[in-house]
This record gives sequence, C-alpha cells and structure tokens, in this order.
Amino acid sequence: MAKGLIKGLGITLKHFFKPKVTVQYPEQRLPLPDRFYGKPEFYYDKCIACNMCVNACPNRVIKLETETVDKKKVVTKYDFDQQYCLFCGLCEEACPKDAIKFSKDFELTRYNRPDIKIEFVQPDQVERKKEEIKKAAAAKAAAEAAKAKEQEEQKPADAGEEGS
Amino acid sequence: MENLFVNMASGMRSLLASAGLPDAATNFVLMFLKLGAILVYILISALWLVYMERKVSAYMQCRIGPNRVGPLGLLQTTADIGKLISKEFIIPRCADKKLFLLGPILIFMPPLAVFAVAPFGKDMVAIDMNIGVYYFLAVASLSTVIVWMAGWASNNKYSLIGGMRVVAQMVSYEMPLILSIVGVIILTGTLNMSEIIRAQEDVWFIFLQPLGFLIYLIAGVAETNRAPFDLVEGESEIICGPFTEYSGMGFAMFFLAEYANVVLVSVMAVTLFFGGWHAPLGLTFIPSWIWFLLKVYGMIFLFMWFRWTYPRIRVDQLMEFGWKVLVPLSIANIFVTGIGKYLYQTIRW
Repeated sequence: MAKGLIKGLGITLKHFFKPKVTVQYPEQRLPLPDRFYGKPEFYYDKCIACNMCVNACPNRVIKLETETVDKKKVVTKYDFDQQYCLFCGLCEEACPKDAIKFSKDFELTRYNRPDIKIEFVQPDQVERKKEEIKKAAAAKAAAEAAKAKEQEEQKPADAGEEGS
Repeated sequence: MENLFVNMASGMRSLLASAGLPDAATNFVLMFLKLGAILVYILISALWLVYMERKVSAYMQCRIGPNRVGPLGLLQTTADIGKLISKEFIIPRCADKKLFLLGPILIFMPPLAVFAVAPFGKDMVAIDMNIGVYYFLAVASLSTVIVWMAGWASNNKYSLIGGMRVVAQMVSYEMPLILSIVGVIILTGTLNMSEIIRAQEDVWFIFLQPLGFLIYLIAGVAETNRAPFDLVEGESEIICGPFTEYSGMGFAMFFLAEYANVVLVSVMAVTLFFGGWHAPLGLTFIPSWIWFLLKVYGMIFLFMWFRWTYPRIRVDQLMEFGWKVLVPLSIANIFVTGIGKYLYQTIRW
C-alpha cells in the first residue's frame, strides 16, 4: 500500500515541474484547422439570389428576400439566424458564386438574443445595387436608342440611294 | 535581522516604560501588540495559503492557476474576500439563528488562542507556557465543537451529517495525534515548546521518532479535514458539510479558519519534529524566524501535495485506519521510545 502512495506522490511531483499546457486564451490562441466553420460571411455583390443556399440549409436558417428591378433580382434581405445554424457548411457548398463563406471567427456570443441574428444586407447596399441596375438599364436603353437611331438614320439614306 | 522582532518588542517596552506607564500596563500593551501581530500573521497566511493551494493544485494538474488579478495573480484571494464580504449573509428560516451566527464568529478563536504559544523564532513566543504542548492540543480540539455547532444550527441534513463526521473524525484522530507526540515528550521530558525546540539543537526528532512523525502527519491531515480525509466536506457527497448553509463572509471565515488550522498543525509538526527555528546544516546566517516559516510552509506544501494526489477514503476505512492501525502503532511507538530512553539512561552512553 505504502509503495502505491509514494508512487502517486511521485507522479504529482513530476507533473508539478512539467511545462504547463494552458493557453492564455484571449491573448494566445491555438491555430484553427483549415476546414473550421465559424461565423458566416456574405458577399453581397457576388450573390445572384438563386435561393440555392436557402434550400440547402437543413435548419432553414437563411431568409432571402428579393425585389425585381427591371427584370433583375435584387437581394433586399439576407438574414442569417445564427442560433439555429449547425455549421454544416451546406449553404457554402450549394452556392454557385461563393457568395456565402464561413470565416474562422468563433467568438459568437452576444448579450441579447436578437443580436444573434445576422442581417447581412444593408439598405444602402440595396439602393446602390438598384441604382446600378437602373443606370445599367438606362445605359442599355440609351445604347439601344442610339443604335436604333443610327439604323433609322441609315434607312432613309439607303432609301435615297435606292431612289436615285 | 535575527533579532528584528525581539528588538522591536524591547524597544516598544522601553518606550512605554519611559512614557511613565506602570509595569503591568506595559506588559498588557505589549501582549496586546504581540497577539495583534499574530492575528495579522494568521490572516495574511490564510490569504496566502488559499492562493498557494490554487497554484500548487494547478501546477500538479499541468495548469497555471490564478494569474490575472495583480502580479502573478497574487491579489486573487484578496479580491475573493472582497467579493465574499459584499455578498449577502443568508440565514435559513429554520436555522437556530443564534448558534448559526455564533459559528463563524467563534471558529477563528481556537487557532488564534493556540498561536499564542507557537515559537516563531528564537525568543519569539508570545506566551512561554510550561504546558505549551498540552495547551496547544487542548485548545486546538475545541474547533470540533464549533464546527459541530455550525452543522447542527444550520438545520440541514448535509450540515448535520458533516457535523457528525467532524466529531467522529476529530475524536478518532486526536487519539493517535496526541499519542504520537508523547514519544517526543518522553525524549525531552517537558511540555514547553521552546524547551522542546532547544532539545533538538543537535538532532531533529524526526530522526529519533520517524514512526511518531508519520503517525502525526497522517493524523494531522485528518485533523485539518483535508484530502484524503476530507469526508467532513466531501463536495461530491455532502455539498460542503457543516458549511453548506453559510454564505458570504460566514463561509469565508470557515474557509480561512481551515487554513489557519493547517498552519497550526504545520507549526506543531515543525516544532516537535523539525527542530523549530534551528537552522539545518549550520546555515545560521539566515534568521531563525525565517527558517521556522520556511519549514512551516514546506510542511504545508506537503499537505497540499497529499491533497492533490490522493482520493478521498470511505468513512469505514477512515475509522478502521484510525482505531485499528494508527492507535496501536502510536502506543507501540510510546512503548519502544520508553524502553529506548530507559536503556539510554541506564547505559549512559
């Protein structure tokens, strides 16, 4: 019995002088693996509003709302209700444009429940996008009009030539 | 350095005498100061020991331990006590209010009273009592009653079981504790703690009484309710034993008193077996009181080492070990010591 007791003391003493394994967390961090799924990130400009991520999600975490401006879909809302997310990464896999990505940020605690939900789309982003589309449409329309005008201008000329 | 505290005391005495105080008043003031110094020492020591315990346990578990509050986390316990003071002291509705409140008030008294006879260094003992060891043991065992009282007054099943375990354990282990000391008393022929230390000038009694020391060590761990004998407050069984219902500062008092008891048992061990304030290997350039404290904290480290190595034993094992192993062994130790002393005296080496 005494032998075992002394052996036990030896083990604890050995550990007493061993280097410590503690990582001083907020200052020191262990490297995260490459495939780590942390906080999701959304790239507004890449998104084509195809709804693939919404369908891929097993927990229906993502709410996607769109508005059609000039026959083009504009994402007006992309809410990620993180409290239900299980970090499976299926949305990331489903996305054809890599618009949603998981970062390595794992400090996701919040003081209040509503803060957990991430609302990715800012109103000014939507406005900008709409403006862009309108501008592009206007430019296109202008270009088309110019083209039509050119054609129209060419037509009488042709006719004149035919007539002479 | 050697006579720092002794000189301080004599300087105070001459100052008071020159101020025209009568001798009795001077003695009274001086005694008051000495006991006050001891009180401060106990409190600081208890604070330090909580920190030390946490650090030692952490190091034995490959952790770092408290290191955020103050340099190296040294202010951790101070912060904890500050928190405990600010917390509410809850008195359960069905508790015996007077006894319940009396528990944490009284718990610090036995250790404090006992330290009066502890020789901290050469000529550094508050009261040089000729029955020091006897007084020490008699008063130290009083804390059993107070813990039992706290457990009873809480009116809680865990407290009651804890209190009963305190009584059972303390009474059973006081026997081998006292009997193991008898060997030392036979060798020195005195109960005066300073005399016992003086008798260890050449050889420490741990070398003459190894079995006695071993029994004292085991019984001492049991007396301080520390693992592997922490049945009294085994968290996994009875929450916190007699202290279950105490909150805030009431709990803190019990907590600190426990560490004061650890210091107490260590002081006694150093006095009886490790030559007290005698410097080993002729290293006398270090003052005697520093040597004494070094030895005391060495002993305390040993207790902590035990605590973080061994699992808790069962109640029946505890009783069996106390009465069937330690008591007969300590009686045998007394017997052998007596014969040895008799032979030594008749042969007269």
